[in-house]
Amino acid sequence: MTQKLAMIIEKEACWGCNTCELACKQENNPPEGSRWIQVKTQGVQKVHGKLRLIYDPVRCLQCSRPPCKEACPVDAIQQRADGIVLIDSEACNGCKACMEACPFGVMQFNSEKGVVEKCHLCYHRIDRGERPACVDKCIGRCIYFGTLEELLTRLGDERFKANNPQE
Amino acid sequence: MKTLKDSNNLLRSPTESVVRSHCRICHGGCGVLVHVKEGKVVRIEGDPESPISRGTLCPKGIASIQLVYHPDRLLHPLKRKGARGKGKWERVSWEEAYQMLAAKMNGYKKQYGAESIVLGYGTGRDNESFIYRFANLLGTPNVLTAGHMCYGPRVATSIITCGNLPVCDYERNPQCIMVWGNNAILSNPDEYKGVYLSDALAKGAKLIVVDPRFTKLADRSNLWLQLRPGTDVALALGMIHVILEEKLYDKEFVQHWVHGWREFVERVEQYPPKRVAQITWVPEEKIREAARLFAATKPACIQWGVAIEQSINCVDNNRTLIALAAITGNLDVPGGMVFYVPPPTMSASQFGAHRLLPPEQRRKRLGGDVFRLADAFAILNPKFVWDAILHEKPYPVKMIFLISSNPVITRANASMVHEALEKVDFLAVSDFFLTPTAELADLVLPAATWLEMDYVAEFWKRHGYVLARKKVIQVGECKSDHEMLNELGRRMEQKDHWWPTVHEALNAILQPSRLTFEEFAEKGFLRGEMEYRKYLKKGFSTPTGKVELYSTRMKDLGYDPLPQFREPPESPVSRPDLLKDYPYILITGMRPTAFFHSEHRQIPWLRELLPEPYVEIHPETAEKEGIEEGDWVILESPRGRCFQRARLTLGIDPRVIGAQHAWWFPERESPEHGWREANINLLTDNDPATCDPAMGATNLRALLCRISPREGEKP
Repeated sequence: MTQKLAMIIEKEACWGCNTCELACKQENNPPEGSRWIQVKTQGVQKVHGKLRLIYDPVRCLQCSRPPCKEACPVDAIQQRADGIVLIDSEACNGCKACMEACPFGVMQFNSEKGVVEKCHLCYHRIDRGERPACVDKCIGRCIYFGTLEELLTRLGDERFKANNPQE
Repeated sequence: MKTLKDSNNLLRSPTESVVRSHCRICHGGCGVLVHVKEGKVVRIEGDPESPISRGTLCPKGIASIQLVYHPDRLLHPLKRKGARGKGKWERVSWEEAYQMLAAKMNGYKKQYGAESIVLGYGTGRDNESFIYRFANLLGTPNVLTAGHMCYGPRVATSIITCGNLPVCDYERNPQCIMVWGNNAILSNPDEYKGVYLSDALAKGAKLIVVDPRFTKLADRSNLWLQLRPGTDVALALGMIHVILEEKLYDKEFVQHWVHGWREFVERVEQYPPKRVAQITWVPEEKIREAARLFAATKPACIQWGVAIEQSINCVDNNRTLIALAAITGNLDVPGGMVFYVPPPTMSASQFGAHRLLPPEQRRKRLGGDVFRLADAFAILNPKFVWDAILHEKPYPVKMIFLISSNPVITRANASMVHEALEKVDFLAVSDFFLTPTAELADLVLPAATWLEMDYVAEFWKRHGYVLARKKVIQVGECKSDHEMLNELGRRMEQKDHWWPTVHEALNAILQPSRLTFEEFAEKGFLRGEMEYRKYLKKGFSTPTGKVELYSTRMKDLGYDPLPQFREPPESPVSRPDLLKDYPYILITGMRPTAFFHSEHRQIPWLRELLPEPYVEIHPETAEKEGIEEGDWVILESPRGRCFQRARLTLGIDPRVIGAQHAWWFPERESPEHGWREANINLLTDNDPATCDPAMGATNLRALLCRISPREGEKP
């Protein structure tokens, strides 16, 4: 059986440097305004009386039951055996129903091509035996990529659950 | 070192090749694998074998692709057509450009003396030693740099205090790191890069952060000391006071290796934590806690940055931090602050040919009699250059040749800078784009980026490495500044001191290693063999052979041999008369991740990260001033004003405003490119009386300002 792949980002260790965003831009070349991974922050917050600054790199989580796939009226969204959720740009009609359906707001509209796109874990790299473009350039080394099983072992079940609300 | 064949698994197609090189989009040094296909750079990956960056990169490094192929890049030399600054240009050949430069320089030298010609760079594109060589051989002592307020002071102060620049020894696992005035992850620390700090913290090192702003480093810290801007030296002296009081210092080291201990202790006694708390706003208990944590955790190091240098306390900030490292026994020990051993190459100062500048010319360095420590290190304060142009005092400056510099945006008192550059007889600029500075030039040269040159990179740095930078592509007629100066030098009186080709110059730099550039490039880098506690054998390289907490060199130069706190020249304490109109303390120069100083605003991927400048303001202050998140605001100082957008944050004191520097808008109409809109240097001061008395460092980090909403639409 094909192993499920996953990417987990340890938010606490993210420095907010945006390198992952540029690594993705270089690899996947989305047009201006489209960010398949984006480092978001609420800025400095007071949490339990203490100042905190948390960066949150948001991107497609490759949900196990993807609401975007269910919402697509033309069946352009497919899930591979390894869990990667792919949008077929030939089939996509640009209706944005998937963008509405995604609870995480990570689907990006490519206005040049008139289609919806999103992070696909650089499946073309994975298929060549490489890792997603953002992983190894990260200064905080907070992007973990591997099989779900590996990552569960590596990070611990609890931590994984906390980072993956869809599970 | 692996050969390039081992990287083949990263290749896309049989026609793609990989060149191992070192980035220089900022102050540089990260190892990169540049993927090339059909003569074009197609991808930049981090080099996992790099001892500097360990495979990581930053947004700017990756975006180098968009820099090299940018449609606005200068591709051939341009000569001004019509009046200055009207944006009309005529293409000329390199030969014509060289002849013009040589004729101008020979003419001014003959009529006004070589000192009437100023060469300049900004923060330097690894071209510094070539520029100094050219200037020294020309006979001018005037090289306009950022060295008076950036890195130069750390080097100069370290050399007079302990013989060399001490650098955090991340490889040997410091257990406590004190980051002082440096956002070392997002900005560019010289020597090692952010990943070393990040890795050290991941391994569990304790972290103390001294910063008026709550950065991500502050978030990760064990202790964050939010000090009043400009009071760093008082805070450091207060910490030393605690260390002395609680006898937490290394008694043996102090006994054998410190010069002037008694005098130093007497001086420190003037800074008890109670007084220091009043000066710095840092609570007494936190000062004590930080002092104890730093002194008790071994080994420990201080990751310092440029912020402490852009102050009237520049030199004393630096030497007090050296004192902190020294008395806690952390100098030149594994995991402490160490003196790296350079690999066998010619030194940058040898290549710079400083000895060939005649003494009578050296004595003419502008402002050399005022800022005497800077003068001893061939550094000058820019204000003296602008004065020499505008008022011809003490003598006229007729020509400026700026090589990688945009002072209209990056130097204090931008109005004065602009006026001087408009007036100077002849201005030549070598750069990538027509910047607001280059727009004022008579001659513009197209500079090569790091992807378009061979170089023995960073042989001036003090991390013990030289790195191979390799030419991957040729863009237009662009030339590296090294090649340009070598070719120009060969057309002038100084011709015997240059080489037939720039490659032979690189071989000369490498000569002590007995490697040719090709052999060196094959290796990728050279590292000096590290040895710790070198002082046990040969002492410290200072006049007394010890760490001079009482500085004999400063005394000889006519300065206070001991560190002291000077109240910033424009602060609520020193200028209460200004408070009614300018009630807030202004910090300038907050570093974003997207840009390096005034560069990169034209690069789409980077501009998307930060489309507009912002100013940090506490929500309470914003409410008081009627400012909401995202509003365009007017920032004003007694000298001028500019516009940025408000970003409300709890991470700054309500009495302090933090502004970004170096903004211009390449997309806006030539020749101004909106340089007056968001340029914080319209507010900064360059009066020598406000600068560090020894180094001439400009005070950019503690001014007074007011802030108000800018009504109406965005500018």
